[in-house]
Amino acid sequence: MTLATTPAIALEAPPDARRAHLMAGARAMAPWLLGVAPFGLVIGISAAQADIPTFAGWLTGPLVFAGSAQVATIQLLDDGASPLVVIAAALAINLRLVLYSATMAPHWHGTSRRWQALAGYLLVDPTLAVGVDGYERAQHPTHGHLRYLGAGVALWVTWLGAIAVGATAGASLPSGLHLEMVIPLFLIGELVPRLGDRTARRAALAAAVLAIATQGVPLHLGALLAILGGLAVALATEPRAQEVPA
Amino acid sequence: MTPWLVVLAVGAGSYLFRISMLVVAARRGVPLLAERIARHAVPVSFAVIATGGLADQLTASTDAVAPIGAAAFAVVAVRRTGSPHAALVVGMPALWLLSAVAPG
Repeated sequence: MTLATTPAIALEAPPDARRAHLMAGARAMAPWLLGVAPFGLVIGISAAQADIPTFAGWLTGPLVFAGSAQVATIQLLDDGASPLVVIAAALAINLRLVLYSATMAPHWHGTSRRWQALAGYLLVDPTLAVGVDGYERAQHPTHGHLRYLGAGVALWVTWLGAIAVGATAGASLPSGLHLEMVIPLFLIGELVPRLGDRTARRAALAAAVLAIATQGVPLHLGALLAILGGLAVALATEPRAQEVPA
Repeated sequence: MTPWLVVLAVGAGSYLFRISMLVVAARRGVPLLAERIARHAVPVSFAVIATGGLADQLTASTDAVAPIGAAAFAVVAVRRTGSPHAALVVGMPALWLLSAVAPG
């Protein structure tokens, strides 16, 4: 187990204390689980309804372990987009993980490669939030590591379980329910609150217009062009640092 | 390339992102361009995929009213409640209702 080989974690805390910190992390993750479980169900149902092997859709859970990119992957594969487009779109969404990695790097500095490999795998929005909070509260880095691990495992189990339940139930639901609209509506729900500033609105509008205008482009390369176009608009119109009020 | 390989590639790329800065950031910091792109990638990608999905529904069905109406209801619901979940909670029943009253 990773704990035994991690300098900061190794055997410093007695088993009871270790368990307590792991459980503290799992408890801190609980409110997030209420939010992500329905999201996992939606992804599972979408995987079952999509024109790809259901297990391939489920496999996005353990392999990608980031809901938004999983949605993009399943939806674009279902649309028949070219592999390049699917991979580029999903990785564009997951580019934020680079920033999360930079955020956690100071906390994991000096730990073993095995710990970094495991902790990095579990890194996603909820574990970042719970993890950073845990490290700030922890009196010793070891406690922060254990809380992060407890939170990450709780999220991982819930996430994969929810996707599996959705994939199982989704295959037997009638077509009259129009479940093919679940992902577009879900994305609308995630998109609208992110349109708070002018740059985001301009970029999203440009991307949406480009997505329609490039519908006929072969291999669904239009989606990639639309994403690149939207990003170009965002970068060109975002306020410069000196224009942002202090 | 099969869906399996695509999923594998997305998973591998995502994992590299997750551990990238554990190796690099300590020495060089996060590239500014990556920081700026990451800030905008999610809304832009969601706008593209949602629009594409909606467009697919319109071309696959003779009934354009139901998907567009459901999307409009979803936008209004999210704006009024501030909750992303409202899009599904309101949008799907709206879709079923509109499909029932305006069959294609």
